[in-house]
Amino acid sequence: MGAALERHGPRHTYGLIFVWRWFQVGRMRLRTLLRRGRVELELDKELRFHLDRQTEENIAAGMPPDQARYAAVRRLGGLMQIEEECRTMRRTDFIESFWYDLRYTFRALGRSPGFALVMVLTLALSIGANSAIFSVIRGVLLRQLPYPEQHRIVRFFLSSAAYPKFPVNAFDFLDFRARNHSFDCMAIMSRADLQLSGAGEPQRLTGFRISAGYLRVLGLRTQRGREFDTRDELPGNERIAIVSDRLWRTRFNSDPNIVGTKIRLDGRPFTVVGVMPAQMQHPGNEYRPVPYGDSVDVWWPFTFEGNPDRRGSHYIEGIGRLKRGVQVASADAEMNAIMAQLAREHPDNDSGWRVLVIPVYREIVGASERMLLVLLGAVGLVLLIACANAANLLLARATGRRREMAVRLALGAARSRLIRQMLTESLVMSVLGAVGATVIALLGVRGLVTMLPAGFPRSQDIHVDFAVFAFTLAIALTTGILFGLAPALQSSRADVHQNLREGGRGTTAGARHLRMRNWLVISEVSLACVLLIGAGLLLRSFLNLMHTDPGFRAERVLTASVSLPQETYKDGPAILRFCNQLTERLATLPAVHASGLGSDLPWTGYDDNLGGFEIEGKQPPPHENFHARYHQTSPGYFRALGIPLLSGRFFSAADNMNGPLVMIVNRAMAQRYWPGENVIGKRINFFNDHPKEKDWTTIVGVVGDVKDTPQKSSVEPAFWWPIQQTPFGFPGLMIAVRADSDPASLVSGVRSSVRDLDPALALADVRLMEQIASESMSAPRFSVFLVGLFATLAITLAAIGTYGVISYSVNQRMHEFGMRVALGAKPWDVLRLVLAQGMKLALAGVLIGIVCALVLARVLRNLLYEVSAADPLTFVIVALLALAVAVLACYLPARRATRADPMIALRAE
Amino acid sequence: MSKPSDLIQGTLDLLILKTLSLEPSHGWAIAKRIEQISEDVFQVTQGALYPALHRLEQQGWLRSEWRASETGREAKFYSLTRAGHAQLKRELAQWERLSNAMGLVIRMV
Repeated sequence: MGAALERHGPRHTYGLIFVWRWFQVGRMRLRTLLRRGRVELELDKELRFHLDRQTEENIAAGMPPDQARYAAVRRLGGLMQIEEECRTMRRTDFIESFWYDLRYTFRALGRSPGFALVMVLTLALSIGANSAIFSVIRGVLLRQLPYPEQHRIVRFFLSSAAYPKFPVNAFDFLDFRARNHSFDCMAIMSRADLQLSGAGEPQRLTGFRISAGYLRVLGLRTQRGREFDTRDELPGNERIAIVSDRLWRTRFNSDPNIVGTKIRLDGRPFTVVGVMPAQMQHPGNEYRPVPYGDSVDVWWPFTFEGNPDRRGSHYIEGIGRLKRGVQVASADAEMNAIMAQLAREHPDNDSGWRVLVIPVYREIVGASERMLLVLLGAVGLVLLIACANAANLLLARATGRRREMAVRLALGAARSRLIRQMLTESLVMSVLGAVGATVIALLGVRGLVTMLPAGFPRSQDIHVDFAVFAFTLAIALTTGILFGLAPALQSSRADVHQNLREGGRGTTAGARHLRMRNWLVISEVSLACVLLIGAGLLLRSFLNLMHTDPGFRAERVLTASVSLPQETYKDGPAILRFCNQLTERLATLPAVHASGLGSDLPWTGYDDNLGGFEIEGKQPPPHENFHARYHQTSPGYFRALGIPLLSGRFFSAADNMNGPLVMIVNRAMAQRYWPGENVIGKRINFFNDHPKEKDWTTIVGVVGDVKDTPQKSSVEPAFWWPIQQTPFGFPGLMIAVRADSDPASLVSGVRSSVRDLDPALALADVRLMEQIASESMSAPRFSVFLVGLFATLAITLAAIGTYGVISYSVNQRMHEFGMRVALGAKPWDVLRLVLAQGMKLALAGVLIGIVCALVLARVLRNLLYEVSAADPLTFVIVALLALAVAVLACYLPARRATRADPMIALRAE
Repeated sequence: MSKPSDLIQGTLDLLILKTLSLEPSHGWAIAKRIEQISEDVFQVTQGALYPALHRLEQQGWLRSEWRASETGREAKFYSLTRAGHAQLKRELAQWERLSNAMGLVIRMV
């Protein structure tokens, strides 16, 4: 009423009045609720005052007192009715009856604490598991990346038949940047660690070389100083650096005048020109990867050097910010059009490539998304089972309370009132469950974060926050209604006459309940089967991973890394000298079995490729070139890591600059390029257009295969150069030392060996090879553990459900069993009868579950290793397991059935 | 809920608000005032008065306090809140529009 007029009034005063009014209303309601007695008294007093005044007036008008009173009452109307109407006006009856229902619920639950405990506990476990997984998903998938308008940021790569995702070439990038119209700004980055020396211990810094515009792409600004501009991209201008906020605080004591000062990096002076903002997060990268997060210490300019017509080297990664309104697909199309131009201009290097434009969000979370969604699915199934289970238990209880419901209906209770009462009960339990769930989520999330696979993106963003609480409560209320509604509707439909007459002995209504409960049990079993099969498949693939020969022996191996600054280790001989001296020193350490240096370690995802070399007497397939992973090693490397020699020999100290060029290949490379041949003595020419005899590199040995990471389905072809003959420098050296006993005892020996050789070198990444191996298994371990946990929870819930139904039906049929015993049935016969009933449900559940699993297991395919998603062994074992659990769940009630007393049965007839 | 015989509910609300806009008073006095001023045209069904008062109070248009009445006995006095004043203005405007329209229709037909 009057809505049209409100608009004309002065807004602000009306707003104030409005607020005040609702404050008043709230106070009134609260008063009604909290000071009920007083409010009632006042109502009585008010009406009495009215009656008295009316009586006085009537007397004054000449009526006799008794008549005057009577007339006054008549004039007012029905006193009770007016009082009731006034009460209705208070609009709190809803809340009042809610209080009533609540009190009733707590009394009812107090009478069956076991039931309440099982309900609340199962709900707390399943809701808590959901909340915990949700908080991981929220932190990793849902939370915005800390870059303004992050949806406009994309990464770009090259792609070809041989390399699906490959770094770009620096000169190609310059052309992309000059010719595109899709991007506001475009930049590149390339991993280039630096060693910080000067005051304090030398420290290895994770570093990136970046082009101008890198921060503009991310939408960030330096907190001090400036970003790089295109002048910094000119060769010779690279001795400037932007340091991370963390480095600035920890290493430079938050020096406010840091900009402009010189620091020593890799032995050379660099001028600090800026400090990154505190919220700077490295967007993650693919090539020599550094995970997303606060994981980079220093940035320095990428300088474009060399001949712009030679575009064969690929080691930089692109990132760009799309113009507003430009779609990823259209940017992708434009980039590919530019790539096609480049292919015409530089056919030698640039043909055969496509450009891949990928949103940065996908790049960061893409790999973990599927695993998280699988976990969410698993935990969602657990919640469904918990719902079915709760509904089941409630139905069992409702059956027991049928008489109570019938009495209340008979006494005139509205059906809606009974439904509300029962929903209150289920909601109370689900809210209690939510409280438990919150505790479980708080503990569970902490556990989950410590268990997360190595390199999992954004794990620092995972917290239990308000959204998680809201999620927990929302889930709890939804489940409460979901599992409470069916039983509430069912039992409030009770036929009053029949239930009063039956007094709880089940016939038609009981049968209807039982049918519904049978279906609930069947669905519980089938959902649990789906989870068990998922867990089984993940477990099998995990076991496969564990039992696959890694190709190296991780035990008793200590590893570390050291990088040799270019300033002091300018050329081959200097590096060689260092390597020789270090191996000699390592060999003299007590208890060292073997030691070596190499460009990388197994299972660390190293994936540097060299392509386009010439194999003597072979032609590459059309549109392809010869390519392989390239590595360098010192003589002891393979022996230290336990990588077996299949034929030929390892490197020796004689494979140096003075000797002929030699190399070792892995079995995969031998089989790829020389199938069925003896590869020892075969030759490759790497860098010369017109090789002379001494330019050929001869294969002297074949070693066993090691995958990039254990989950990879195949081994890439790979070869090794001896460190002494390596054609170009590697950024870092990995040290591997095999001990006779505990490798951890070697740490100080290795450290002092390095320090004695060059006190300016920092020893970094000191780890046991077993740790590295274990970390590279952590993703499958994580998923198998969690899905296994959820499956255990699921089958337990299903067992409770089965037990509940069978137990109830046994109670209902005790009389029948007694009769059977009286007629000569053996205990075994009764036992079989009950077990068969349970088996029928379980079997139906298992069959449905297997069909669902056959459909659903396909989503797991990417997470499986050498196991089919329809692995028959897993399916059979799970089916047997589920049936066994069902037998177990039925056994207790079945035992009770065998003890049916024939005398009681007979007497009752 | 019993329906007031002569008055539609909105009108009773309007009468109560109008009466209370002059001065705070208690239920009985309100009933008497309405009857007097309207020269007994509006016979307020007293039974409908109290639920209406309570409703208006619950809606925040009225507030109440207990104090001594003209006879010295404690009575529950109702008065308009600021929101009540605003509400009265709205209802009056509504009413005028309605009665003007009614007048027009009656004269035209």
